[in-house]
Amino acid sequence: IMMFSVSHKTAFVVDHCPYMAESSRQMVECDMLTKSRGQGVIPLAPVSKSLWTCAVECSMEYCRILYDVYPTRKLVHYIVSDSEFHSLNSWRQEDQSTQELMAALASVGPPNPREDPECCSVLHGLVAAVESLCAITQYQHEARRTLMDVADRVANRGRIICLTNAKSDTHVRMLEDCVSETIQEQNKLAAGSDRLMPIQRCELVLVHIYPQGDDTLVSDRSRKELSSVLSSEVHSVRAGRHLASKLNILVQQHFDLASTTITNIPMKSFLCVSVTLKEEQHANTSANYDVELLHHRDAHLEFIKSGDLHMAGSTSRDSGLKETVTLKWCTPRTNNVELHYCTGAYRISPVDVNSRPSSCLTNFLLNGRSVLLEQPRKSGSKVISHMLSSHGGEIFLHVLNSTRSTLEDPPSISEGCGGRVTDYRITDFGEFMRENRLTPFSEGVLDASGRTSSERAKAQLERHTRYWPMIISQTTIFNMQAVVPLANLIVKESLSEEDVLTCQKTVFNLVDMERKNDPLPISTVGSRGKGPKRDEQYRIMWNELETLVKAHVGSSERHQRVLECISACRSKPPEEEERKKRGRKREDKEDKAEKNGKDADEKAWPDSERLKGPQEREKEEQTESEMIKDSPDSPEPLNKKPRLMSEEIQPPQKSKGPVSLLTMWTNRITATSRKHEVFAGRLNSVNNKAELYQHLKEDNGMDLHENGKATR
Amino acid sequence: MPTVVLMDSSLSMTRPVSQEGSEEFQRKNLAVHGLTMLFEHMATNYKLEFTSLVAFSSLWELMVPFTRDYNTLQEALSNLEDYDKTCLESALHGVSNIVQQEWGSTCPCQVVLVTDGALGIGRGSLRHSLHTLKQRVEDKKFPLPFPFPAKMFIMCIANVEELQSTDAMDNLEQLIGLNGGEGQIFTMEGPLCLKSVQSMFGKLIDQAYTPFYAVLHCGNLASDVQVFPRPEPVLVDEEVDPIPKAVQTDLEIVGFIEIADISSPPVLSRHLVLPIAVNKEVDEVGAGTTEDAEEEPSANQMAGKSPNFCVLLHGSLKFVLLNQNNFYSKKKSNLMMSLFEPGPEPLPWLGKISQLGPISDAAENPYGEDDSKSPFPLQPKNKRSYAQNVTVWIKANGLQTDVQKILRNARKLPEKTQTFYKELNRLRKAALAFGFWELLKGVAELLERECTLLPDSAHPDAAFQLSHAAQQLKLASTGDSQYSAFNHNITPLHTDFSGGGAGDRM
Repeated sequence: IMMFSVSHKTAFVVDHCPYMAESSRQMVECDMLTKSRGQGVIPLAPVSKSLWTCAVECSMEYCRILYDVYPTRKLVHYIVSDSEFHSLNSWRQEDQSTQELMAALASVGPPNPREDPECCSVLHGLVAAVESLCAITQYQHEARRTLMDVADRVANRGRIICLTNAKSDTHVRMLEDCVSETIQEQNKLAAGSDRLMPIQRCELVLVHIYPQGDDTLVSDRSRKELSSVLSSEVHSVRAGRHLASKLNILVQQHFDLASTTITNIPMKSFLCVSVTLKEEQHANTSANYDVELLHHRDAHLEFIKSGDLHMAGSTSRDSGLKETVTLKWCTPRTNNVELHYCTGAYRISPVDVNSRPSSCLTNFLLNGRSVLLEQPRKSGSKVISHMLSSHGGEIFLHVLNSTRSTLEDPPSISEGCGGRVTDYRITDFGEFMRENRLTPFSEGVLDASGRTSSERAKAQLERHTRYWPMIISQTTIFNMQAVVPLANLIVKESLSEEDVLTCQKTVFNLVDMERKNDPLPISTVGSRGKGPKRDEQYRIMWNELETLVKAHVGSSERHQRVLECISACRSKPPEEEERKKRGRKREDKEDKAEKNGKDADEKAWPDSERLKGPQEREKEEQTESEMIKDSPDSPEPLNKKPRLMSEEIQPPQKSKGPVSLLTMWTNRITATSRKHEVFAGRLNSVNNKAELYQHLKEDNGMDLHENGKATR
Repeated sequence: MPTVVLMDSSLSMTRPVSQEGSEEFQRKNLAVHGLTMLFEHMATNYKLEFTSLVAFSSLWELMVPFTRDYNTLQEALSNLEDYDKTCLESALHGVSNIVQQEWGSTCPCQVVLVTDGALGIGRGSLRHSLHTLKQRVEDKKFPLPFPFPAKMFIMCIANVEELQSTDAMDNLEQLIGLNGGEGQIFTMEGPLCLKSVQSMFGKLIDQAYTPFYAVLHCGNLASDVQVFPRPEPVLVDEEVDPIPKAVQTDLEIVGFIEIADISSPPVLSRHLVLPIAVNKEVDEVGAGTTEDAEEEPSANQMAGKSPNFCVLLHGSLKFVLLNQNNFYSKKKSNLMMSLFEPGPEPLPWLGKISQLGPISDAAENPYGEDDSKSPFPLQPKNKRSYAQNVTVWIKANGLQTDVQKILRNARKLPEKTQTFYKELNRLRKAALAFGFWELLKGVAELLERECTLLPDSAHPDAAFQLSHAAQQLKLASTGDSQYSAFNHNITPLHTDFSGGGAGDRM
């Protein structure tokens, strides 16, 4: 269907003149229960619908199906005509619902049989319908706005369905002429207006409704071109059942619908089975549990092309006017996590929406279950060709691909690029995907920098992947629980003060781990023996952590502060040149070091010290000694090597090796106090003591050292 | 996109080509040479393509069913025999059947017709087929257009001048026209020789069999990939200036969505996403000399050992949403890309793709802290008819059922007072909308009669409620705006016996 085809606008014109109050003479027995009650009770006389009631309920049924299958972009303007026209709604999308129309129809009421027939005519409505077709819908308006310079290429077409009781063929011709003339007039008007569009194409569908038992005064006529713009067809139909099936056929023709009948429905699978059986007994009808659905005809495309349409149980119903394809309910159910290869999904509308089997089926689907459907084939074989499934309260008929796939037998992923790598961070990436899931935002919501939702999503992915090693052996920090709080926060676009504190806390933790010489999960892949030494491990870890944080340092001043915290606290300076040089030396020495069982890296230490001023160093010594004294719960080192280090190396060279986090931080504060605002904690501090981050302890009631351990 | 090679094996293909050199070639030899080149190309660069070989003259024969085994195809090609005259129509019927049997009628295919342009004489000739196009009965229709989407490539072992000297060129153009313009005619330039046939098949390869290379991005992570089958540009069915939409070679992941939320969506096409070695040039050059060929395995090994984002993604994947209209899913352990219908909203239950943003921007995690919720599917503004208990009386039993429901509840008053009035109001609303006042009067009478039929043992409240309801229906049936307002509801009468009345008195 083209964007603005004839089916974009449908104007219903329903005759509300006194003669429409006439009885359709189709009797409905509504006193069914009385029959079974035996003597003495006089049953109520059957009631009959008026021509008006028949017209209204059939047009509502047309709209119901239309709105079910096309909730948007297919618009109805409902007009009622007597001594004047009454517009019951507008082209606006908000007005498109049967509820709205029912309320409006109730306020109109049935035709007044006492009204002067001379003043009444369906013509008022037809003229109003033509005028209405010239009015621009919101969709046409949007298309014209986006096309600007070629706005005149937005089409304006429509259909008028007129439900009336005509006097004769001449009367019908008069109605047609009137529409044709009105179109000419209105098109002239519209040509000079910005708010109207000339009608390029109009299909007039005149439905003459006459009571049962009468002979028709109007003859059927298939579509005829009355002018280059207008075509007209006439349907002469008896009120009641015939009218209903006529409009059902029309809605299918007008909106390219087709019919599918679901058969073999095991009513046992529905809770309502007992009620159904009871009612069937009461109604004395045979148990027919088939459910007929309407949907876009493309859902049958495969049948039509393969010539299986007639084989697929296609039968004619209702006086041979309508075809339906029969599909069988397939018992093995499907779960919604299974992703079927689906080539189309089409909204459905049940033909008999209130019947028991139909409402059982739709409720079953609305409750979230899906049903596979089987198609009988020429060859006698059966194949699952469709699936019924609901999404957000709407039921769709999914077309499943039932033929051989051209993607079968693809090359194994393990044989391709990267296929031999075994230590991908699969779980981490799973978590990454969870964090980068999407959610709908309301239309036109832009952030401060004017980005749309999907641009923000891409920006987030960019941030999250600035440093993201793909394999476990490429990373140390992402294998450490202790780094998680920082790693999760640093990728954020902006950090709160609290976030910064959490990051700093993470760093302090690491410092403490290093001081205690806790082992790190360093990969030993590609290295001989046990891999790098402990302090080398920490150097690698700190470098990697710096790499991660540096990737985000441009995001904000707070990100910068996290990096500063690391630079201040880490055991080695981040100087690239130094690191490389030392790295090379280190490799040479490593073997020796292993043999000697001594730390061969001693000479590298003074580098870091050289960068600090003598005053700073002095302070470090001072605060450090205090700190050590003030940390009674600091546990004994776990192995001998660090003790050797602190005994042998620390006294002569002063403040070497891992120092307490507070010392580090105090130094940092001293160095940068002029650049940054003074920490509130520092102002209240006594002898630069731990009051600085007192609230951290308050928060979790746990010592930082313990915390560091606990997280591992 | 499976390929059918339709090879002309008529006698005219054995016509010798005038050669200056000593060796004498038949047109058939040139055709075989060209096809060999095509098969070799596919075997190295397009090896997942399914290809079948059909030979035809006045009859047609499926020489090789769809396969990825290019040796078999090559072998069959070299063993082709020569037959009688050309009859293209029946051969095209054959192609149509073969493809539909194997792939159904939705799978797009490519047909490579190799012919010398001598398209037969008399009945069965293409000329005759085309002349009689409009005189066909339903079951003898010309096979084109095919029921499946198809591209038709016609490889002429002839040059333009020769084809234009007869009506062959016109007929072939008409054939492409019948295929909806999908396809192209290739002719040989210059003398008919190996070189010109190579150049012609080279053009076909460029046109239809170049692999689609792309880069799959996820933020700063990326992987070079081949997308197979290559995504073809899609024409969006709109009125104004339809421009084919092609898939870009940068595939950007926007974010991720649970597989249950995406829920078997309709797709235009599905494609394998295969990681490829980063340095494509090296590979292509490498195939040339034997020295490099020896190094190739080690290059492949290297590629196998270096981490690849595709493999990571595949390993971790549940669901990935790509820019605009693509998504990936894990199925049978392969990374797969599916293309949605182009447009802002390919899936109603996901909403507009451009409006999907990161969950971190939401006030609270829409998936819940324990993944117990989901923001999908989106709920439409209005409920569908089957989800809102609409009233339809088109068939008599629809009306009868509604009346019976009221009567059944009427007999169980006052216990069923709420249901009784609910059903009564539903019927009242519909009757007012349909202008069916007669029904309101009828049901009022029924209720009054029920009132008279109440047994002595009946609760006294029942009689009050029944006559109240009957009276209200009658008032509504007068059309008096005070009583017939659509949104007005008949409420139960407060009586001395009903709970509300009793409460009031206390």
